[in-house]
Amino acid sequence: MIKLPDIPESVVVRHSAKAWPLGLAGAGLLIIGSLLSWSFDPGVLGDLSISLNPGGLQIVAIAIALLAVILFLARRGPLTSLGQWADTALSLRALGLWALLFMTLVLVAITVETGGLINIDPGGWISFLGAVLLFIATRFVVQEETRDLSEARVPGWAEILVIVVLMAAILFGTAYALGLTDAWEFVLFLVFVTGVVITGVRAGLLSWLGHVTNRHRHVLTLAAFAVAFFFPFTQNGSDANMSIASQVLIFASAAMGLNIVVGLAGLLDLGYIAFLGAGAYVGASLSTSAFATIGWKPPFLVVVLTGACVSATLGLIIGAPTLRVSGDYLAIVTLGFGEIFRLSMFNLDGNNGPNLTHGPNGIPAIPDLTIGSFNFGDTHTLLGIPLARFSNYYFLLLVLIAFIILVFSRLNNSRIGRGWVAIREDEKAAEAMGVNVFGLKILAFVVGAFLAGMAGTIKAHQDVSVTPDQYIFLESAFLLAAIVLGGMGTIAGVLIGAMILKLLPEKLRFFADYRLLLFGLLLVLMMRFRPEGLIASKRRQLEFHEDDEELAVRIETNHAEDVKA
Amino acid sequence: MDVFVQQLVNGLTLGSLYALIAVGYTVVYGILQLINFAHGEVFMIGAFGALTTSLVLFKGNTSLWTLPVMIIGAVIASVGTAVLMERFAYRPLRNAPRLAPLITAIGISVFLQEFVRLNYNQVPFTSWNPFNLPDAKSRIPFPQIDVVTGKAFELGGVTIQRSALFTIGALLMSSALLWYFINRTKTGRGMQAVSQDADTARLMGINVDRIIVVAFALGAVLAGIAGIAQGLQNNNIDFRMGFLAGLKAFTAAVLGGIGNIQGAVVGGLVLGIVEGMATQYIPGQFGGSPWKDVWAFVLLILVLVFRPQGLLGAKAVDRA
Repeated sequence: MIKLPDIPESVVVRHSAKAWPLGLAGAGLLIIGSLLSWSFDPGVLGDLSISLNPGGLQIVAIAIALLAVILFLARRGPLTSLGQWADTALSLRALGLWALLFMTLVLVAITVETGGLINIDPGGWISFLGAVLLFIATRFVVQEETRDLSEARVPGWAEILVIVVLMAAILFGTAYALGLTDAWEFVLFLVFVTGVVITGVRAGLLSWLGHVTNRHRHVLTLAAFAVAFFFPFTQNGSDANMSIASQVLIFASAAMGLNIVVGLAGLLDLGYIAFLGAGAYVGASLSTSAFATIGWKPPFLVVVLTGACVSATLGLIIGAPTLRVSGDYLAIVTLGFGEIFRLSMFNLDGNNGPNLTHGPNGIPAIPDLTIGSFNFGDTHTLLGIPLARFSNYYFLLLVLIAFIILVFSRLNNSRIGRGWVAIREDEKAAEAMGVNVFGLKILAFVVGAFLAGMAGTIKAHQDVSVTPDQYIFLESAFLLAAIVLGGMGTIAGVLIGAMILKLLPEKLRFFADYRLLLFGLLLVLMMRFRPEGLIASKRRQLEFHEDDEELAVRIETNHAEDVKA
Repeated sequence: MDVFVQQLVNGLTLGSLYALIAVGYTVVYGILQLINFAHGEVFMIGAFGALTTSLVLFKGNTSLWTLPVMIIGAVIASVGTAVLMERFAYRPLRNAPRLAPLITAIGISVFLQEFVRLNYNQVPFTSWNPFNLPDAKSRIPFPQIDVVTGKAFELGGVTIQRSALFTIGALLMSSALLWYFINRTKTGRGMQAVSQDADTARLMGINVDRIIVVAFALGAVLAGIAGIAQGLQNNNIDFRMGFLAGLKAFTAAVLGGIGNIQGAVVGGLVLGIVEGMATQYIPGQFGGSPWKDVWAFVLLILVLVFRPQGLLGAKAVDRA
């Protein structure tokens, strides 16, 4: 988090009255500037060169300004009823900082792309000045008492509306971001989203949303799936983004499966990719590819189950001996198993052992899936929008991930899930309490492997070919990183983590070389500063911050309220 | 018979390398109950340290007297890396749940590999290459010092590479020094005390933090030497060499009984010999060198099933 030096309290109080007009003026300038041209070169950052016809980033700047206006009006003006709930001072400070960052980056981008500050039109300068004023004004807002957000009540239909609007915003935000081809534009949009999210967090919006979603959990789940379902329809038949999206879904389903093993049962599995690989190889070998080595060609549903069962059997073979000893050993043994799997697939080419996998060449030319008469390779038109190959796989994967999430949440809220928590927190105590430690560990391991096997069979068809080098250790590390980044043991967190880890490298190709370096650093820093992940499971958060009394009290009161409600 | 002895020699060479690295895992585990997963990378950086020393200071001169200097260079690089990673990555996590340091270790491992790959021949984010170092994205030839890499000895049908003798000799000498250090010096006895009971040792006036740093450094010294030995044996090094070597060395440490220093040496040698013999004597298509790594990991799993405390007995196996 960016930490600015604090202005002395007395100075802030003395000038606080001027903050309000100054801030509104800044926001006004930002809007006016954004309506003018920012640069005469239409080739930079989309087209920002036409006055009174704001381009994408200019609309974003206007959105920032409007948000600032709303927050200022909540402090003094017609929206004060909002101001008594939201912490406007903190959120304005965050917004001011991010607005300034945004406009500075815009100027930097124009300068870098066109070769000089000279290419910035007056509109850009006016907007920048507005951002500066806004930033200065927000330094001088005084924090006021706010009321407890858990008491905030709006009608139920309004709460549902909020969820729906939020989900729609996510849908169109993602579609817009994916449509951006320019790296600068993408980064700037990311800055905007981050800034708005942080502003929301500071205002207490997130904790209010937490209460709201708690009251309407089913609506949230449904809305989230509706968003995911409608995503292909925003692409106008283009398959490029759908290819990325279906990769993300494969990755996310594998991460969710691993989440059961690592997040719920606390077993560190470093060879999880091998289970995905086992499923993929089964899927490829039982497909009608000319290179498949097994003669049996069952229908796809049977293939999925076979792949999952083979994977689960491997999990049982590897888990049974190692789960009796300590967790550290498991990490290394699973790592060794991952290598055994990769090396075996690499070696089984006919020269070293029977020809099962064609060795390093793998099994290419896997045909598209057909379920009944539905061919996944064809383009189908629905509601007037053509849905091509990757969209078809996307829908299938959506069903798969829904199934995995269902398994995850049912297990988590059951006797089994509580057993896992007990094992994770103290194995010996759990055993003394009569928890079947070994059985539950094996169960977690096998369920995880089973789900990965299912995902693998689909992955084989979607990728067209299966080769051993798709299943190196680094892939397992990536899956683990998605869980750690998002929040171990949570559903939303892991989905977000998987999205971040797969999407960012796709869009930010200019740092492709530094991708892994940053990834390693990210893991270290996350463990150091926020081990519970972006979206923390409450119990996990406590496990990682055992001596934080305040956090314990806060989580306990929240929990008590949830139980009452 | 010749074939058997030949494989024994090959196995001992390989095993000595594993043993040198395995000591690093076992020393740290004995004290912190932490698997320093990034130890393989320390080994890799040791090799690069030696290479850099040779390239920068001697510029292609490969006389015998450069070898000790290269060893010093390797040890400085590996110890520096190990101490820094202990200080900035592991120490803050001393009381965290056990998952945290393991994940950190994976992060360090990836980071160090990538750092060497991208930045060996350039200062980060620039293309400035002050010493004209080679590109580390592919294999780099390791300087060949005639006395230790020259013509192999022939002993009645058995070929013994000079680098093999160097590796085995390095292991013997390191083990002797290590034994002396652990049993006869004050710091070494402090290490024993901390590994038995850290809290009591602290009460007895032992600086536990310092002992932990020493443990990391000690493992790194041996890993650095192993890095050179590997470079001399293979004629080249690359940034990926630490991963598999580290994994094998950990297997060796478990095989001998983790936390037990003699165990690590014995485990390394046994693992090396098993690999050598598996290459030669497993019949049919599953023998030969493509499968030797697989057999090594199978051995690890078998050990954990039948004798989780390892060959010589481990410290604290059941700690979850």
